[in-house]
Amino acid sequence: MGAAQYDAIIVGAGHNGLTAGCYLAKAGLKTLIVEKNDWIGGAAVSRSLHDGWTYSNCSYVCSLLRREIVRDLDLPRFGLQVIPYEGGATFTRDGDYFAYHSDHNALNREIARHEPRDVDAYARFSQTVMRQCRFIRPFLLRRAPDPTSLHPRDLGELAYLVKQAHGLGPRELGETIRFWTMSIGDFLDEYFESDLIKAHLAGSGIIGTGLGVYSPGTAYVLLHHYMGDVDGSIGAWGFARGGMGSISKALAMAFEEAGGEIRTGSGLEQVKVRDGKVSGVALENGDEFDAPIVASNMDVKRTFLHHVDPGEVPEDFTRAVRRFKIRGSSAKLNIALDRMPEFPAAPKGAPFLRGDLHCSTSLGELERGYDDWKDGKWSAEPYFDMLIPSQIDPTMAPPGKHMMTVFVQYAPYDLEVDGTRSRANWTDAKRAELADCVYAKMEQAIPDIRQRIVHAEVRTPLDIEREVGLTEGNIFQGELTFDQLLFNRPVPGYSGYDTPVKGLYMVGSSSHPGGGVMAAPGANAAREILRQAGRSKAMPRFAA
Amino acid sequence: MSDRFDVIVVGGGHNGLTAAAVLARKGKRVCVVEREALTGGMARTVDYAPGARGPEIAHLLYNLSPAVAKELKLSLDTRDLPTIALSPDGRHVEIAGGDLRFADGTAHPEAGAFAALHRRLVTFAGVLGQLSDAPPPSLADGLANMASLRDLGGMAKLGLDVKRMGREDMREFLRVILSNAYDLILDDLSDGPVAGALAADAVRGGWSGPRGPGSVFTLLYRMGQGGGAHLPIGGMGAVSSALETAATQAGVTMRCGSGVASVTVEDDRVRGVTLVDGTVLEARAVLSSLGALATMRLAGPAHFDIEATRRLRKMRARGTVAKLNLVLSAAPDMPGLTEAQRAGRLIVAPSATHVETAFNAVKYGRASEAPVLEAVIPSLTDPSLCEGGKHVLSVVAQYAPFEPEGGWTDTARDALRDSIVTTLKPYMPDLETLIESSDLLTPDDIARRTGAPGGHWHHGELSLDQLLTVRPVNGMSRYAFGVEGFYLCGASAHPGGDVTGSPGRNAARKLLADGVPA
Repeated sequence: MGAAQYDAIIVGAGHNGLTAGCYLAKAGLKTLIVEKNDWIGGAAVSRSLHDGWTYSNCSYVCSLLRREIVRDLDLPRFGLQVIPYEGGATFTRDGDYFAYHSDHNALNREIARHEPRDVDAYARFSQTVMRQCRFIRPFLLRRAPDPTSLHPRDLGELAYLVKQAHGLGPRELGETIRFWTMSIGDFLDEYFESDLIKAHLAGSGIIGTGLGVYSPGTAYVLLHHYMGDVDGSIGAWGFARGGMGSISKALAMAFEEAGGEIRTGSGLEQVKVRDGKVSGVALENGDEFDAPIVASNMDVKRTFLHHVDPGEVPEDFTRAVRRFKIRGSSAKLNIALDRMPEFPAAPKGAPFLRGDLHCSTSLGELERGYDDWKDGKWSAEPYFDMLIPSQIDPTMAPPGKHMMTVFVQYAPYDLEVDGTRSRANWTDAKRAELADCVYAKMEQAIPDIRQRIVHAEVRTPLDIEREVGLTEGNIFQGELTFDQLLFNRPVPGYSGYDTPVKGLYMVGSSSHPGGGVMAAPGANAAREILRQAGRSKAMPRFAA
Repeated sequence: MSDRFDVIVVGGGHNGLTAAAVLARKGKRVCVVEREALTGGMARTVDYAPGARGPEIAHLLYNLSPAVAKELKLSLDTRDLPTIALSPDGRHVEIAGGDLRFADGTAHPEAGAFAALHRRLVTFAGVLGQLSDAPPPSLADGLANMASLRDLGGMAKLGLDVKRMGREDMREFLRVILSNAYDLILDDLSDGPVAGALAADAVRGGWSGPRGPGSVFTLLYRMGQGGGAHLPIGGMGAVSSALETAATQAGVTMRCGSGVASVTVEDDRVRGVTLVDGTVLEARAVLSSLGALATMRLAGPAHFDIEATRRLRKMRARGTVAKLNLVLSAAPDMPGLTEAQRAGRLIVAPSATHVETAFNAVKYGRASEAPVLEAVIPSLTDPSLCEGGKHVLSVVAQYAPFEPEGGWTDTARDALRDSIVTTLKPYMPDLETLIESSDLLTPDDIARRTGAPGGHWHHGELSLDQLLTVRPVNGMSRYAFGVEGFYLCGASAHPGGDVTGSPGRNAARKLLADGVPA
């Protein structure tokens, strides 16, 4: 006995745990956040793994972070600064490229250079995507209604959904149905002629997923990556100055200013449950803390399959958690460069080099990458999303040097070697082979990339799981497929951030609206926790 | 014979015949125009060789709409076939409804799990199936006013039926309905021939693998009438014949041998059709059972707005199914199977993963090296098909591209035929020695023979973005097709393909509800 007593304990200091913590602490709850690593941030971290360089070694760009939350928690006061980047490019094998410009006229000229018909197509495409973004954004900071429930709150949320859908009008409603169910490949095929332009746009539909560009539902994933903004500019992406850890740092400062406490360095052993109600947590180092509210920032599988006594949870629930799909599909390379690399295809100092760079030139190539992954292999011709943030944010690398972040799709969690699939097959040799495969593809854009590398960190799905705690290293804490979205996320009947254990809540991306550094699950969960604690008024209502 | 009709139906496939029969029974003067000498479209019985008849394309009946059968008083003589999931290790499995056992009669360890899964699927399919017999819900005035009270009533009934399933089933329904068959199956069953057979049923005819989201919906679509496979005595042509008989008895004029070249439109109203042979037929309404794009072209794109033409052009219809029709000198030996099992629906899909891998090839314009097969020897059940001890083996093979890289050359055709025969060989060791003749139909052949766009079984992918209210395309889902008096009544309209008769009946009823233009 004698465990320290809190009003609420949050397990995991990822951005959602921290966000929820901020709201609970601001509402006056004595709140503790426990974190297994010696540092905070989960997958939103800045780490110095090579002298003088800072890596955003998991998540690497920022856009989805809900601006309502940024403003409400006054994160800029705690040092958060998001610098938008403009443009991007896909490099071809034959020394050409397609450059994306945020300047409308420059973009049209570039599209026309490849395919004049696609200029008009792009206008229609972006109009559709923006419409869908505007449709979905109000839902992000709301609780998903349970359609099987007759509870007034659920009926109210359903009515809101119907009202929003009705407001679209018949044509757009039809388009919305199609958009939500289509593959990104089919969607782009409807608009564009140029393979290269299609490939450039398609990446956002598969990043982080166990789906291919021709898998239905990937158009929605594209939306998931487009619905963010930087300073109100929809669809824009930016770098957090100082790396993604700056977001976590700002949240942690806001949390501590509100009276919250963070303990790092020991992970959760067990959620303590008494008589079907949560009573606190026991940590790996033997420390115990008591609280009537425990919120898990871990994914639903890790929480319930490893840290909650199965006897405390209905069997149906455990079965549903087991079948929840969290598939590792991405790897990450963080690279220290001795200078800005040469892109022979691009004009010197081209502004689009500050954006997201790719080397996948057709939808077929992307789909083949997915087929490799299904077979338990990394893509022979991987898709990657490559950025050099140090061009804009000089704090990331020593003067004159640069830092490059490369997100690689697809890499399996269970690697197949000699007919057996296992995570144990991820040896250092295999890790090096994967990196080599990525460099080989990268040479399409940067022929001397290998000479520029001072240090590289190669992170497989297994590495991401081990360090961050995300099951299989899945960046969204669960696939973003229809069966795992909205009222189905994470488990049908428990989409309201609650669980079968009274007082235990889910605040991570396993819950609606899902992953991406959005902080929406954390804020939504905090609202539910405070409502059930009878303190609804302590939570701000975000304007839709 | 008069050349003036109330309604002309373009295409004498099962949907065209159904539409014609429904209209004629309501007193309309109807003419069906079929470009081939024989009606039936994809559901025909043909001579494979002298003294050996069999189903040309479709070979089994799954979900003929009971509403169609009842309204047209069809009497069909069919036999229920068990499904045999063939296993490379010889441990074949017999599936009859939700009942699972090894072919040798011994108990299957997954029988319980399969029965539970099957029960759920049949329940879900039944609820969804009721959407098939009416036009899809309209979005015309947004959600507040679902076009008409009848629509709302239909949706409310659907909602009620979903509710009536009970909370657990309802939650499961809402979870899986837009999901993929691979995960659904493997959450409950181990990956093997049983999972493979289910996965194959989920994607048959479609440009999708079982891992593709939406494949649960297509599995449920197929199971709309319980999922059982029925073999019509006399072949699938017997179904078309029954429909044609119902039509002619109701007074429909059949006109075979020359197709429709164009639909005449004046003042945005249909006036009739001109046949390829130059004949002009007048009518106040035209129903087309051709694909949606071909239907638009009959009237001419000038009569459609640019958005509609763009959408119709982009409707996805990439056929993935090849058909191999073999004449055998005798019934093949099938070790490990009883007489009744040999006559069953034979599935070669060793695992759900195998089905997904087979799909990979077609994405890049190649045929699967190890195709997924659904084979049946109808002459074992229906001896009237063959003479002199011969038998016919009818094989549906997936996946084969509509437009393979390099085209359907003789080499490509031979390779596909060989891979199908090789895939069957482990289960029919003496097959090669028995083959007297063979006829391979690629998706391209199917397109040319039947006019189906892309040779696609469903006249357009049954993907979620081409179903219900957005089938064939957004804004044209309720059969009326751009021009007054012009209707779409084929499989590219709601609810879609398979031999159901539903699009034909629904379109005819829509025309009756709208009233044949004066």
